[in-house]
Amino acid sequence: MGRSQRRHLLIGALFLALALVAAACGDDTTETTAPTTTTAGGSSETTTATTTATTTATTVNEEPIVVGGSLALTGFLGPTAAIHKVAGDLFVEQLNAAGGLLGRPVTWDVRDDESASDQAAALYERLISEEGVDLIMGPYGTGAITAAMAVAEREGFVFPHHTASLTYAYTYACHFPTWPTGVETNITNPNQVYDALEASGNPPETIAFVLSEFPGTQYIGYGPPNSDAGGAVSEAEKRGWDVVAEINYPLGTSDWAPIAAQVAQEDPDFIYMGAIGVDANGLLAALDAIGYAPRGHFYQWPAPGPLLGAPNAEGAFSVSTFEPHPPFTDDPNAAAIAQAFSDAASAAGLPYTLFEAQASVSWVAWEVLVAGVEGSGSLEHDEICDYLINNPIDTILGTIDFDPAQQNYYGDLSMIKQIQDGEWTVVFPPDSAKPGTAPNL
Amino acid sequence: MSDVLNQAIVSGLLIGGLYAVMSVGISLTWGALRIINLAHFSFILLGAYATYQISTSLEIDPLFALLVVIPAGFLAGAIMQIFFELTKVDEFQSLIISFGSVIILQSIIRTIWTADFRRIDRDINPYESMSFFVGDVAIQVPLLLAFGAAVGIALGTSLLLSRSYFGKAVRAIVDDPQIARAYGIDNRRVAVVLSGLATAFSATAGVFIATFQSLSPSISLGWFGIVFPVVILGGLGNAVGALGAGVIVGVAAGVASVQWGPLSASLVTFLILIAALLFRPQGLFTRQGSS
Amino acid sequence: MTRRTKALAGFAVAAIVINLVPALAEALDTPGFYITFMFTAFFWISQAVSWNILTGYSGYFSFGQGAWFGVGVYTTGVLAAKEGWPFLVALPIAGALAAAFGLGLGLVVFRLRKLSGEIFALTTLAVAFVLASVARLYSFIDGGRGIFMTGTPLPEFLGDFRTAMFRMTFVVAFLTVLAAYLLYESRVGWGLFAIRDDEQVAHGLGVPTFRYKMVALGTNAFFSGLMGGVWALQIGFVTVDDVFNIRVPLFVILMSVLGGMKHWMGPVVGAVIIYTLTDRLNSAGLEDVNQIIIGGLLIFLVLAVREGIYLRMRMRWILTLTVFGTAMAVWTFADLATSLIWDFAYASLITLLAVLLPTRQSVARVLRRGGPATPVEASAAERAST
Repeated sequence: MGRSQRRHLLIGALFLALALVAAACGDDTTETTAPTTTTAGGSSETTTATTTATTTATTVNEEPIVVGGSLALTGFLGPTAAIHKVAGDLFVEQLNAAGGLLGRPVTWDVRDDESASDQAAALYERLISEEGVDLIMGPYGTGAITAAMAVAEREGFVFPHHTASLTYAYTYACHFPTWPTGVETNITNPNQVYDALEASGNPPETIAFVLSEFPGTQYIGYGPPNSDAGGAVSEAEKRGWDVVAEINYPLGTSDWAPIAAQVAQEDPDFIYMGAIGVDANGLLAALDAIGYAPRGHFYQWPAPGPLLGAPNAEGAFSVSTFEPHPPFTDDPNAAAIAQAFSDAASAAGLPYTLFEAQASVSWVAWEVLVAGVEGSGSLEHDEICDYLINNPIDTILGTIDFDPAQQNYYGDLSMIKQIQDGEWTVVFPPDSAKPGTAPNL
Repeated sequence: MSDVLNQAIVSGLLIGGLYAVMSVGISLTWGALRIINLAHFSFILLGAYATYQISTSLEIDPLFALLVVIPAGFLAGAIMQIFFELTKVDEFQSLIISFGSVIILQSIIRTIWTADFRRIDRDINPYESMSFFVGDVAIQVPLLLAFGAAVGIALGTSLLLSRSYFGKAVRAIVDDPQIARAYGIDNRRVAVVLSGLATAFSATAGVFIATFQSLSPSISLGWFGIVFPVVILGGLGNAVGALGAGVIVGVAAGVASVQWGPLSASLVTFLILIAALLFRPQGLFTRQGSS
Repeated sequence: MTRRTKALAGFAVAAIVINLVPALAEALDTPGFYITFMFTAFFWISQAVSWNILTGYSGYFSFGQGAWFGVGVYTTGVLAAKEGWPFLVALPIAGALAAAFGLGLGLVVFRLRKLSGEIFALTTLAVAFVLASVARLYSFIDGGRGIFMTGTPLPEFLGDFRTAMFRMTFVVAFLTVLAAYLLYESRVGWGLFAIRDDEQVAHGLGVPTFRYKMVALGTNAFFSGLMGGVWALQIGFVTVDDVFNIRVPLFVILMSVLGGMKHWMGPVVGAVIIYTLTDRLNSAGLEDVNQIIIGGLLIFLVLAVREGIYLRMRMRWILTLTVFGTAMAVWTFADLATSLIWDFAYASLITLLAVLLPTRQSVARVLRRGGPATPVEASAAERAST
């Protein structure tokens, strides 16, 4: 070959070698201490597992139970999926330390679906039919969950999942949701927020809605598409509050000034923001820049850590299922889990390490899966499904009773939290609230 | 309503400066060097994360990061261009190589800083919502700084290209590389320096982004819809054009957001874009017939 | 038998054989994922090949594959899932609508005198963004709500979901490749190559440049949209961000460049190789490493095989077939890997490496057009034979 062709080949090969070295160096996050799954084919594949020395010591002679699944480790859903990875890894580690499932060690075979639902579908298909996993755990995010659920239904696998927000749409008999908002989230959720505001003794008269154009937040804001059930907006009107603004914004908005200016001009008593990720930070910073501080504000699903640091964040409301303070931490088991999670999250390099809503629903999904298998004593999916439907399951969030009449949902178990003294604190309903606190408006 | 509109216009203007700084790098390398370097998106992101890290670890004002980020960006750009020169790639291949680099860089970023959101603490970063008022309109300081940088970059690059020997060499290379070489211009060196400059600009954009936004590896995905319209409207390789285009995009989006709702903003932007492409395909700011 | 008849016979045989696969898979009780793997490969083959019909043949660089794909996805989404039309009625409309958008774009941009390659590329990208914005804005399309595709009924004769996807994606991919082949061998194809070489000259020689470019663009958009229509089912929950993003437009470029843009088979090979690579690396479960390896490999491959992998394989087809056949046989029968897909992946990797070894044959001879297509190729051919 010509000289320059040889040279290009050499350069390319050098680059590839560099890349491989970089890959090898960066590889200390993926543990390779996992037990290798040897199959009849004779070749061993090392699965990404989360086993520690304890695991191999206590259960070394048993073939592991493999739970397959995907998470949006890369792509736009990456930030929150990282939390679910830590939670799942920790759960499996503790499970194995306690003797495993049905006496066998458990391996969580989790892959990256890149926040793309068609990839999630293919991944679950592969895990179930090519790699022959025993059980599956749901992915993160409505799109991936929907696609994976279809695969689970076709293959007859029990499908526990934790973060599908469009609850009205799921009808698979053996799906088990732990996103605890019930089939009528559009009604129950906003009303819980509004009840909390009334309980503060100073409910708003005017309210502005700033809603992300994201299926989940639109559902809560307006109800299911093609239905007149309504949502947060109409429920506020029912209370006689004056809706002074209704602003819908696209995902990835970076210039918050126009929206902030409109909100500031209307000067509502309360801002209800259907926010995801760091939208809340964008709005609050823009409001602060024009010298406006909200009198009352609620954010649907903000990234909890960053919001604590936003200007005028004190007093912001949101929804939660668990916060690491009493009464939740009165249960020593829950307190221990919260502590272990914080340690694991720090070790994984996450910036916000508290065990709260997202991590807790993930934890419960795993508890449900384990309860189903242990309860039925079997890895047969129809038996697990039967068990879960017909028995109440104890979890760190309380007892769950999957109700087939409500598409396996069980009512709204969420609660309202508020930033008080710089920390997320559950303030409503009163029996879930941190002792001595109340909604503050 | 006019107060709101004024605010939207001013903010749009300023954020347009940021858009310009984000876009000028890729525009220069595409226009002058015929290389589509998607890695600029990663360099913006790296500049942002570097700012976060430097500011957080040393507990200093994030703008100090410019001292590190600018030379590092220059170096990175120079190295990439040397690679492209050695391998003599065409536009398609440069696209793919840069895409491969993006994958690698994104992965490195994710390994170091995880996928979760990172923001500089407000005790260390005073700029996040810092602003001052001119009449009834608030001027957001981080955006003003970015706008200032954009003006500096635009003017500086423009002067460089028109007055300096280097600039003339660049224009010569763009017009006809063979003749340029015949006149003694070292194409390679010029290209490497230009690429270094372009990447330094991109990394600088990252510094400003870190002063008022939360960072996660995936935020770069949203930048395509900002950078490419600016590149197109401004004209490939036109730094002043990038500033003008950034301002147009920012203001149009801001005004549309107020008049017809935020959901209409991107539609308006892209319709302007298509109209511009059809009637002035060389970009709104490039003279007819020049490259 | 003419070359053309032989080729068409080859297509027919391939069609028959591949159609037997689902039945064979069921008989052998192979993992269902094999079918999923194949139909995903068909998806990428169709996208890459259709893209190449425009960009590879005519030289008009399109960044807008996402636009046609998105139109296709949303057409079946709206018509079949939301409005309840029969899926097989909505599907051709998906292709037709995408083609309409493509032709509409062509009508406007191809008439511009000052249209440079980059401007065309950026315009196609802009079209994709506009369509995404429109989908976001209007609730009869999406309006930020997404569309549930699960529960969309498919006709019984297509079989279960996986088999149905296999059959539909295969038909679309088959038609796309067939179209690419027919165009390649036709006068339109020659005209497009002439346009790619030098449009002024081609126009001067009497090539109906406008008409041919419209054919290329229309065909590109049609098949991309058609396959998008099918793919909506795999996506499951269709949202604007999941559909109108940089993944499809970027990957088709990747697959076509690596496979080779000068021949209709190039993107097929490129699609299969890139898809197999990404799928297997993901299957091996190495997350971050996965990404870095892919990035490094892409760069390496782009540099190592300038004219595309397919042409290299053609130049050394005996070597290719022997190495692949042997490797495949060895891996499968010696049970060296846990699944047939791994066998395929290893065999392909070895074949790729074998093929990358230097060669003396000229690129031009393989392209059979009596000489190099461009001056660049002439010097490449010259260098290759030194």
